[in-house]
Amino acid sequence: MRFDWVRIVGWIGAPQTTVPRPRLRFARNPTWSGASAVGLRANDGHGLSRTVWGALTQPTVLALLLIHPTLALAAPLKVVASFTILADMVRQVAGPHAEVIALVGPGGDTHTFDPSPADAGKLGGADLIVVNGLGLDGWMERLAKAADLKVPILTASVDVAPRQMTEAGQTVPDPHAWQDPRIGGMYLRAIALALKTADPAHATTFTDNTDRLTAALEALDQNARQQIAGVPASRRRIITSHDAFGYFGRAYGVSMLAPEGISTDQEPSAGAVARIIDQIRSQAIGTVFIENMANPRLIETIRTDTGATDGGTLYSDSLSPPDGPAPTYLAMLRYNISKLVAAMKGS
Amino acid sequence: MTVVHTLPSRPAAIRPGAISITDLTVSYDRVPAVHHLSGTFATGSLTAIVGPNGAGKSTLLNAIIGAIPADEGRIEITGIDRHRIGYLPQRADIDQTFPISVYDTVALGLWHETGMFRRVSADGRQRVHAALNALGLSGLDLRPIGHLSVGQFQRALFARLMLQDAGLILLDEPFAGLDTTTTADLMQQIADWHGEGRTIVAVLHDLAQVRQSFPDTLLLSKGRAIWGGSREVLTATNLSAAGYIVETVAVPAPALVAGARA
Amino acid sequence: MTLYHLLFEPFVAYGFLRRALLACLALSLGCGPIGVLLVLRRMSLMGDAMSHAILPGAAIAFLIAGLSLPAMSLGGLIAGLLVAMLAGAVSRATPLKEDASMAGFYLTSLALGVLIVSARGSNVDLLHVLFGSILSVDTPALLLVAAISAITLATLAVIYRPLIVECFDPGFLRAVGGHGPLFHGIFLGLVVLNLVAGFQSLGSLMAVGLMMLPATAARLWARDVLSLFWVASLIAFLSGYIGLLASYHLNLASGPAIIFTAGLAYVGSIVFGRNGGLVRTYFPPPHYHTTPAEHGR
Repeated sequence: MRFDWVRIVGWIGAPQTTVPRPRLRFARNPTWSGASAVGLRANDGHGLSRTVWGALTQPTVLALLLIHPTLALAAPLKVVASFTILADMVRQVAGPHAEVIALVGPGGDTHTFDPSPADAGKLGGADLIVVNGLGLDGWMERLAKAADLKVPILTASVDVAPRQMTEAGQTVPDPHAWQDPRIGGMYLRAIALALKTADPAHATTFTDNTDRLTAALEALDQNARQQIAGVPASRRRIITSHDAFGYFGRAYGVSMLAPEGISTDQEPSAGAVARIIDQIRSQAIGTVFIENMANPRLIETIRTDTGATDGGTLYSDSLSPPDGPAPTYLAMLRYNISKLVAAMKGS
Repeated sequence: MTVVHTLPSRPAAIRPGAISITDLTVSYDRVPAVHHLSGTFATGSLTAIVGPNGAGKSTLLNAIIGAIPADEGRIEITGIDRHRIGYLPQRADIDQTFPISVYDTVALGLWHETGMFRRVSADGRQRVHAALNALGLSGLDLRPIGHLSVGQFQRALFARLMLQDAGLILLDEPFAGLDTTTTADLMQQIADWHGEGRTIVAVLHDLAQVRQSFPDTLLLSKGRAIWGGSREVLTATNLSAAGYIVETVAVPAPALVAGARA
Repeated sequence: MTLYHLLFEPFVAYGFLRRALLACLALSLGCGPIGVLLVLRRMSLMGDAMSHAILPGAAIAFLIAGLSLPAMSLGGLIAGLLVAMLAGAVSRATPLKEDASMAGFYLTSLALGVLIVSARGSNVDLLHVLFGSILSVDTPALLLVAAISAITLATLAVIYRPLIVECFDPGFLRAVGGHGPLFHGIFLGLVVLNLVAGFQSLGSLMAVGLMMLPATAARLWARDVLSLFWVASLIAFLSGYIGLLASYHLNLASGPAIIFTAGLAYVGSIVFGRNGGLVRTYFPPPHYHTTPAEHGR
């Protein structure tokens, strides 16, 4: 994950590659004091190759660049994350020092995303790629490899010991680790480390942001524990159509019951549906959740037969649009927890 | 195609039809099969249509019943309603594997009474069985048509024609693949219909049979059409011009003279 | 486990199973006759083709109205009708037979649908949304399937005679003045209607499977068209009933369990069917001795 500065120098005179490259980033930061010190003009509109070459023939500039490669990187990092939750985490940690985009937008399905050539183009211009790993977004690494990109890739769950789940009859790691706020903290620390390596100049900003966020997450975690402690143990059960809350359930001792399992394509058996209905009836669970992208019809069926009400949407695999109730990772956790606790209490 | 109706002039039980063809050109599969044909099938006539394969015989029948539109010319059907024509398709055009019984197939002959929706009356049922008996198919009414022999199936189709009680009957190769007994029986049926005054047109391949039983003939070949009495039409000259291979048989002269005197 | 518990209790206890069984009943009544007619007209693969042909209609409806199930079903219905009509028209006007022209149109239709969906840039699998599941039949879907069945049976009762004649002796129908292509067109419309309604409420596997498998199996038991109709409907309903029970007791996926049961019925019919099954062919019952007069001539 280190940058080699041969590449930095190489950028300056590099020919166009097949992936269209943005203009040199030097042009984008007119406040760069180094640039004005050596007379580089920003934003002259023609790209800076002429001016830069003219400037760099001055030995002073070259020396400065070689000694302080970080001076060349004061412009914001371009980070591409696989989906909105990771993108939000990077944004929170990096602040104004990174431009982050998510390939899978709000409401998209990260499991089954099929990247297009336009997405490969976005990856080509990035400084850092952030993926979740654990089988959620393997397509990202395949895409980077296919496009033969040298962009470093951070797997946010690299420090996480995953829990296992069964999918299609096999035991696989559960990728939805971010639903546990403590694991969210681990994600943030991994992201911070990557950002610091890419942009050491702003390491203190990153550290501050990470500390602030981790504290917020811990507070959220404590709050959640308090709330759940107020729910009788026998009622700590949740029915939802998407098995994305396994980590949440493990963290807080809540049983998550999912009629369809992790894959939204799997067709359920009548026996499994009947058992879910029995369980809801016998345990008088009053609220059932629909995940925001699964097939909602089956949940409708279960609700009709048990009389349970709709708990509303839970945001499991993506954030809501900016005007929704879960536009950031923290907001999403708060929203989900409040809904889940209300369901457990009210049922 | 223009088909002109004229009201029948006599209220007889049998209302025979006639066909008048003017400068007819019909294509099959975008290739002209009938070229500028003109002529008449007169009321009450018994006409055979003969010619080599591909001469347009079936195409002509299809044009008369309205299945194929004519490119040029007119077909005028007088004396009967166009939808009361008794039409016997080539056996190959009927799906004999279809799960329908002999009774149901023959009962379709009562279409002019039942139309698409009405049930067959009790009297109609009796007539169906009578037709089956008349054609030697008694006892087979519940059998699927797929279980019939070729001869039996053709008899069933004739039974259907009988029930149609049509004044104009068109037969497309009625004796193809049949044994001599069945052919004789069915030919007798045709002769009976002719005797009742119905107009009959049949596409045939057996020239000896045509000479024996059909007074009139239309000889169709590519580009040529000859109408007339069978004897006049079916001469060696006409036949070889039409593409038939004609054998000349040498008969000793005394036998000829003897035959002429007798 | 008592017989009651095995055969009846699941349906008594669970509403979704009752609705599923009723949906199977309605679907069997409508699809049985339609499937028989498809088999008789040698159009057996049309169901599968149609499940792909409806995509552009659903895609355009999605572009206009979003993820609205009624809109997408209507769009799919229109697309399916267009493809069926065009294929039928082409097969009548050109040397292409119906299977070839259908293949050409449904593949083009599917490709068009995929183009529309990918141009929009969305990753929603429209067909996945459009195709339902037998276990998630709700009351509106049940009413839809029942209405479609009723319309199908009523229409078939009306056009039965000309449709049958058009199937096996189109020359005769032309001669007596029946409009063969019209009835064929109405029949195609019924096929598409049943298929789209089946897809939406029950999924494509179930809709096509319950239409074709019982019809092919019925061929080996019945000898005339009306018997074929009710035997096919009966086999379809029994497959639904047994399949649902298997899905409940044995924890099998519901749609495939029903269709597999129908498949077993098909195999069983091939072996044991009274009308051409293997046992009858190779181990025929003893012949009665008949006099020559009783043999048909």
